[in-house]
Amino acid sequence: MSELIGKTESLCPECLKTIPAEKIAEGDKVYLVKTCPDHGTFKVLIWRGVEDYKDLERYSCVKSKPEKIAVKNSGTCPEVCGLCPDHIQHTCLVVLEVTNGCNLKCPICFASANERYKFHPSLEEIRKMFQTIVEYVKHPIAVQISGGEPTIRDDLPDIVKMGKSMGVDYIEVNTNGVRLAEDINYLQKIKDAGVDSLYFSFDGITGDVFLKTCGKDLLDTKLKALENCQKVGMGVTLVVVVSRNVNFHQIGDIIQFAKKWIPTVKGVHFQPLSYFGRYPSMPRDDDRVLLPDLLKAIEEQTKGELRADNFIPTSCANVHCDAKSMSILMEDGTLFPLTQRALGPPRETSQIAKKTRQEICDLWRYIEDSISSSSEEDLDGTWLGFIQRAKTHYLTVSTMPFQDVWNVETERLRNCCIHTVTPDGRLIPFCLFNINSINGKTLYRHEIFSKYRKG
Amino acid sequence: MEIKIPNEVMELIGKRGIKEDDVKDVIETAESSNKKIVMGNRNLAKKIIGQATVYVDYELEKGLLKKHATVKSAYSHRLMLGEIVNATDKSDWVCAHCNEPALYGHVAMTYMQVTRNGPAVVCPKCKDSWVEEYLATKTLAAVEGLFEKKRA
Repeated sequence: MSELIGKTESLCPECLKTIPAEKIAEGDKVYLVKTCPDHGTFKVLIWRGVEDYKDLERYSCVKSKPEKIAVKNSGTCPEVCGLCPDHIQHTCLVVLEVTNGCNLKCPICFASANERYKFHPSLEEIRKMFQTIVEYVKHPIAVQISGGEPTIRDDLPDIVKMGKSMGVDYIEVNTNGVRLAEDINYLQKIKDAGVDSLYFSFDGITGDVFLKTCGKDLLDTKLKALENCQKVGMGVTLVVVVSRNVNFHQIGDIIQFAKKWIPTVKGVHFQPLSYFGRYPSMPRDDDRVLLPDLLKAIEEQTKGELRADNFIPTSCANVHCDAKSMSILMEDGTLFPLTQRALGPPRETSQIAKKTRQEICDLWRYIEDSISSSSEEDLDGTWLGFIQRAKTHYLTVSTMPFQDVWNVETERLRNCCIHTVTPDGRLIPFCLFNINSINGKTLYRHEIFSKYRKG
Repeated sequence: MEIKIPNEVMELIGKRGIKEDDVKDVIETAESSNKKIVMGNRNLAKKIIGQATVYVDYELEKGLLKKHATVKSAYSHRLMLGEIVNATDKSDWVCAHCNEPALYGHVAMTYMQVTRNGPAVVCPKCKDSWVEEYLATKTLAAVEGLFEKKRA
């Protein structure tokens, strides 16, 4: 029994040509089936749970077109991107890559760092990218400085100051933390320069995990980096690249670990391994960690402390792109989830993009600072105490599986709100920017960045 | 019973999402049951309407033929009030129902299955309690807002 539940377009994994695709429900699985006239038919598993897949449409928000776009003509998505008039969501987070160099050489890397050519833009080139951002994105503007490894740049504090002085409201740095573990002064410098938080790759709680994902045991380094963040008061989101046979079984333990590091740790972001950049092998359906698989694992491995039902789409991107939960850490050490699918979709969906930008900028803080208590009041067991606690003791657990050449849907690309800024003045959906064919050819990343190579 | 709601109070209760009819309902119910607390000619009454407990703070003048109420303020919360935890300090309020002095104390308040205490005016004899405006519009509103975040 198979049922056609949707039509879209995708890319040919061989030649990257845009080809028609159908979403087919078979049993309780949803597949994307696409045929390239030259390279044949591809069938890829994209979801487990057909009813769940359909039900999520309720969370779809009122889309809001970006006000300014770099590409004038429509009808060329996704080949000519920049964004174009077909795009139907604002930018919520801009990814700005400041190098493709790295102080690690991980077997898994979406950016294919340290390969082929050196992309290491000058301060002037970076200034132009910030200029694109402030011209095209509405306030509050949230930027993730990424790479490569941004902390290999000694001028990172200058880059951060430049962005803030040009009007960027919030800056997070995507980092492996190696330099921040070794050099607390550098960490202090980037904090003083205006870095609001770290997007800190943290794949597991045992050394063997890092051996597999990074090629060496980095556990002590990661812990040292966290300690340093605690010392200087830098907020951290732990980013976990989830892979079936590497760390899938540690999902629950990582959440428990994160709880111990609250309030330094603000969130855990699970990033199922996607098949672009450097990846070890051709994907099999069984290897893929789909969004529903991840939520199920969280529920099982936290023994129901967080349930799949506690995860809702942000409604900003496509409803099948992401899910997040928000919880307060109670006095007894358990998570109290505030989010619940049963409560239904947001009532106010027209300003979602703005709201999401604000939430990113507030480090997903749940409560305003304005409510405070007089010092003589006893807060134990009171609602005022609960509120005071909620200001700092919270944890956002989220996930956003990237789209790769196998499972990409143009409809989801047009919904995308996380965009990479390019030195030639464009904003391109992050997944699309990174997608590469099985031969390693990209539509955007290498084509654009290699033009600005420094060797 | 004549109920007067001055313009500035109308504006305030509008902002707080409270309907004029609910305000009248609270006052009329309190005046017929005498369940309220009083301080001179000032009255504080409450009633559960839908999912909210609506409070009205009003002044009362007894005319020859009918009473005149002037609404000073109205507010609401959605937490449910439970048991009185303690009653410690004297207050200037008097419970109209039993005519005993009401006290300041703490009451269990529950929202979304979480229970915490909060300060309230309590009548230990009637086992009733009233949340004051500052708490309802600040702390409790923040609690409700926090839990509402999950929706949007």
